[in-house]
Amino acid sequence: MSVPPTTPRPRLRDEVRHALFDQADRVTASAEARATTSDLSIDEELNLHSIGWEPVELVSGVSLHSIPFGYWNWGQGEIEGASMAHATAFVNATTHLLREAGAAGGHGVVGVRIDRAVHSTFVEVSLVGTAVRPVNRSRRLERGVFASDLSARDFTMLMVAGWEPLGLATGASFVFAPRRSMGAAIQQQSQNVELTNFTEAMYSAREAAMQRMQEMAIEMHGTGVVDVKVQEGPMSFASHAVGFVALGTVVRLAQAAHRLIDPTMVVALDDASVAFDARTLS
Amino acid sequence: MSEGPLDLPEAAQRRFSQGAFSSGLSVSDFGACLDMGLEPVGLVQGFCAMHWGAYSMSGLGRGTTPFTGAPGAAHGYVQNYQCPHGMISSEHRTWGQNYQQNWIEDAWRTGFNSAYSRMMAEAQALGAHGVVGVIDGENPLSDTGVVEFHLRGTAVRVLDAPAPSATPWSTFLAGQRLAKSFEAGYAPVSIITAVTSVRVWSYCVTEYLLGGTGGMWANAGAAEIHQIVDAQNEVRDLARTRVRASLHGDVLHGAHLEVSAREIGPGDVEFQSRLSGNRVRRFKDFDPLPVPRPTVRLS
Repeated sequence: MSVPPTTPRPRLRDEVRHALFDQADRVTASAEARATTSDLSIDEELNLHSIGWEPVELVSGVSLHSIPFGYWNWGQGEIEGASMAHATAFVNATTHLLREAGAAGGHGVVGVRIDRAVHSTFVEVSLVGTAVRPVNRSRRLERGVFASDLSARDFTMLMVAGWEPLGLATGASFVFAPRRSMGAAIQQQSQNVELTNFTEAMYSAREAAMQRMQEMAIEMHGTGVVDVKVQEGPMSFASHAVGFVALGTVVRLAQAAHRLIDPTMVVALDDASVAFDARTLS
Repeated sequence: MSEGPLDLPEAAQRRFSQGAFSSGLSVSDFGACLDMGLEPVGLVQGFCAMHWGAYSMSGLGRGTTPFTGAPGAAHGYVQNYQCPHGMISSEHRTWGQNYQQNWIEDAWRTGFNSAYSRMMAEAQALGAHGVVGVIDGENPLSDTGVVEFHLRGTAVRVLDAPAPSATPWSTFLAGQRLAKSFEAGYAPVSIITAVTSVRVWSYCVTEYLLGGTGGMWANAGAAEIHQIVDAQNEVRDLARTRVRASLHGDVLHGAHLEVSAREIGPGDVEFQSRLSGNRVRRFKDFDPLPVPRPTVRLS
């Protein structure tokens, strides 16, 4: 094959040749060295390195908590068994995740992927993330290991701005929407009308969930919660129950004052490039 | 089909000896590879069709007693659970078991490794130093329990470099992402994928808790479902342990962990965990970049 002329990039080419052929200079892996695993991309790892942090280990935590049969069908107010099951499953999964991270020498876990599923008889919570620590500092921190669903990039920006993550906070509430009387149901059959029982149930669930998340943040001595995700709506398996779940990362100011990050405006002169993902070909 | 390069299909050898190269790289990745001094020499592929007979025997997987592992699970994870109720009945599950399904893991490994080594054999036949942009797939071929493993990637040669003397390296990365990896100080070694499988044969407490009837048994109530949690944690941990064992001190980058569940019957679940990523080796010491400068793109 004849290679078409390209713009020479001797530095990168030299780097590649050095990496692949200069075996003598290579920092070879040894059997004693502890292998590290991470689900971060190269970009994310470079971001971490830029503030003096490094990935240590891929960690996970799972919990399933049961909900006794019949909790969803009849009752009034909050379905406390379901709300409690969600909270316990989340805490247990997080505890397992943090224990794994601490055992690996991590000071925190970033980019936590949260998979949740609420079934009629149990709640399932699964967490996967990468334990991170300041470069070459395996000594445990005096304070606990933190978990955050912020990406490594967002974690970097947070730290650059003088803030630090403290942990994941969540609040969940599942509430009954009271059934209408037979008369009201018949009367409203042909009307376009707000079903206040569902609206009120949703408000009730939201307030309880947001309150619980906020209480968790205060327990962690956090100033606030960033990147809050909310999920709300009816439960597919219970026609008169609604749920509201909120979760995010608790943060607090680590410096005397917030540091302005002062972004630079850029106008790109090229077309927007599309990042290639090899997996899209399959 | 053996794994040596000399056993390539004759048509493939003929094709390789012709002038033009083929590549799975996009134009931007092709350009990035040339910038790095990597010249594509061919789209290499490996296949393996495996008969998945182990799954059809899944009902026979449970150990014959609560004191031993499952048949075929001579080694690996086994955990037993005893009924706390003291009931003896043909319907009451007086014991349960979690166990690692080694035979499924072995079959998967055989299929994947065969396809991988065939792809690498093609790369070696082309005189390549490495394979970039690897894509792996696993598809059912028919309804008869046959699974096709298919790996493909672009074999590359380092420009103006001596002929390769060792097995080519491989990576899921291509183009700019590979360039960043080199610039960050990591050289590719190989792709790594591990699959682990744990079967849950539930005992009474797990069955009741999953079905929401734990409250009928005073000591169960609403509680964490330990047997499933143990299995879920173990299947992930086994995959990580297996991958870590094959890293030999290197680093796994861009790991992707996914867990799937297959319900075979009430309380009878199989969890499969798949962990894949790029095994890379640091070739220069830590050299942090300056703190990134935030920008706002006006477009």
